[in-house]
Amino acid sequence: MNMSYDRTSELKLTKISDWIWEIPQSYRSDMRVPARIYASKEMLESTFRDRSLQQLVNVATLPGIQKAALVMPDAHEGYGFPIGGVAATEYPDGIISPGGIGYDINCGVRLLMSKLHFKDVVTMLDKLSQKVFENVPSGVGKSGQVKLSVKELDEVLKEGVNWAVQEGYATEEDQRHIESSGHLASADPRCVSLHAKERGKDQLGTMGAGNHFVEIDRVEEIFDEKVASLLGLTKGQVVIQIHTGSRGLGHQVATDSLKVMMKVMPKYGVSLPDRELAGVPLSSKEGQDYFKGMCAAANFAWTNRQLITHQVRGAWKSVMGDSGGQLGVLYDVAHNIAKIESYKIEGKEKKLIIHRKGATRAFPPHHPEVPAIYQETGQPVLIPGSMGTASYVLVGTEGAMNETFGSTCHGAGRAMSRTQARKEMQGKELLNELTERGVSVQTKDIWSLPEEAPYAYKDVENVVDVVHNAGIAKKVARLKPMAVIKG
Amino acid sequence: MKTHKVLPHTADVRLWVEADRLGELFSAALEGMAGLIKKSQSELQKGKRVEDSLKLEAPDVTALLIDFLSLVLTLTHERKAVFTEVSFEKLNETSLNCTIKGFETDGFDDDIKAVTYHEAGVKKNDAGRFETMIVFDI
Repeated sequence: MNMSYDRTSELKLTKISDWIWEIPQSYRSDMRVPARIYASKEMLESTFRDRSLQQLVNVATLPGIQKAALVMPDAHEGYGFPIGGVAATEYPDGIISPGGIGYDINCGVRLLMSKLHFKDVVTMLDKLSQKVFENVPSGVGKSGQVKLSVKELDEVLKEGVNWAVQEGYATEEDQRHIESSGHLASADPRCVSLHAKERGKDQLGTMGAGNHFVEIDRVEEIFDEKVASLLGLTKGQVVIQIHTGSRGLGHQVATDSLKVMMKVMPKYGVSLPDRELAGVPLSSKEGQDYFKGMCAAANFAWTNRQLITHQVRGAWKSVMGDSGGQLGVLYDVAHNIAKIESYKIEGKEKKLIIHRKGATRAFPPHHPEVPAIYQETGQPVLIPGSMGTASYVLVGTEGAMNETFGSTCHGAGRAMSRTQARKEMQGKELLNELTERGVSVQTKDIWSLPEEAPYAYKDVENVVDVVHNAGIAKKVARLKPMAVIKG
Repeated sequence: MKTHKVLPHTADVRLWVEADRLGELFSAALEGMAGLIKKSQSELQKGKRVEDSLKLEAPDVTALLIDFLSLVLTLTHERKAVFTEVSFEKLNETSLNCTIKGFETDGFDDDIKAVTYHEAGVKKNDAGRFETMIVFDI
């Protein structure tokens, strides 16, 4: 287990370009492909500090892995896979690894757009953020306003946002602005355990804790006027981000499947250097069971963000009144997920199993899976910053299709442990500092607030610049936070 | 004798546990996890007492410990309770029967998503004591 961690100092990286570095396949005898890192030279120093690169080398040993194990510039040490990792395995007999998706299945980001300029909202901001805080349950183990029967929960798991449309929590227009329309058809509620269902039955429409949040932002800068205009973004506009996932239900699906996979791996001749990389061929019964359960948890997560949208809309209407207009959905992306997608490998179109763990899909203009309204722009990519720093809207590119299996970064990426972050500053002090910077914060847990402080994360601007310069996403707009409602 | 200590980790929580006996190691790990879930034990003890019986099998002792903590975490969320004590009716390297006890609570502090197998490896150290690292996904 965890072999060769002590060899980090021996890693010799080959420079492919200013933004791409490679660990050759020859570095370790069990690597099946090289490992590629998207980072600036300066960022490599920080990436080297933890075990993320050795974890990436372990990913390169997965049976059926194609081309290269990839990691994005927001990389940091995870468990099994590094956070920021992307791995494509052969379909249907390559490995599917729950560790390549993460415990929070379909953790993701949604961006809502208002038609108002921040000057129209600024005097109502405190009232608005308080109302959002009231409407969206947050914190660990907190129940939501919707209590589902077993039958209803199965419908959510099977249908995702289709269910929310039927129940009046979403419009068809919302659904057109969600990755995969918020519904993965392979989902099967029978592949979700009773424990997972028990954990999920009262959690729909809840934010959770940790780095999850609802954030009221304004568009601070536009980098690409034409694309921004097509997306509906203008300078000064008020937008709202939602960052959360599949809650306890998804965590339990991942936990259950890891246990099963570790047991059956020998049956399929799979041996891996880290238990958290456990995986089986997708075509096996256990692989299919996990994939169908993961799809169900992903449907739950999209429905969760939809219900939070409904609650945020309620808060918006209650505070801003009819003059506030409607909050539309710009887009909703998953950054912890596995998808079956097609790519050109050695000139031939091939179906692959794409694992994204802390990485965002970034499909280019004219891709068939990009909604009709974004055919000219490419798929919107939403990159949340840390509390108090900027977030970004980007769009997908051909470069991502050619190089990174249609993937790009997902956030700033942690740079400091939670313990160290709490030592740096007390919650009250951070709250005051953020207030001075023009960012108000609503939280029930001021003690833990420093864990998500800007200084605990990498500089999101550097991360976004790397993916932009490497051509695996294109910058469109920068968002500035005005109010953070923390989980 | 048993002990546990929280160590730094970039994104998650790393807990080191050490004990003279295997049962104590499991108990120290349980206490360490309970301390992450609810920081104030005095506040926790105001809640209604709860208990549950567990029966588990695993391929080795490390998997047994991680699966034990995972099951306790699941019950923590299902029953909205924090479990702080364990007594074993049976415990060997691949199976256990035990009773866990704790208290109901109306909220948790840290959101532990999962108990991971990453870095875990129960072994006897040079002092002849059981020890392991446990990484919690937060």
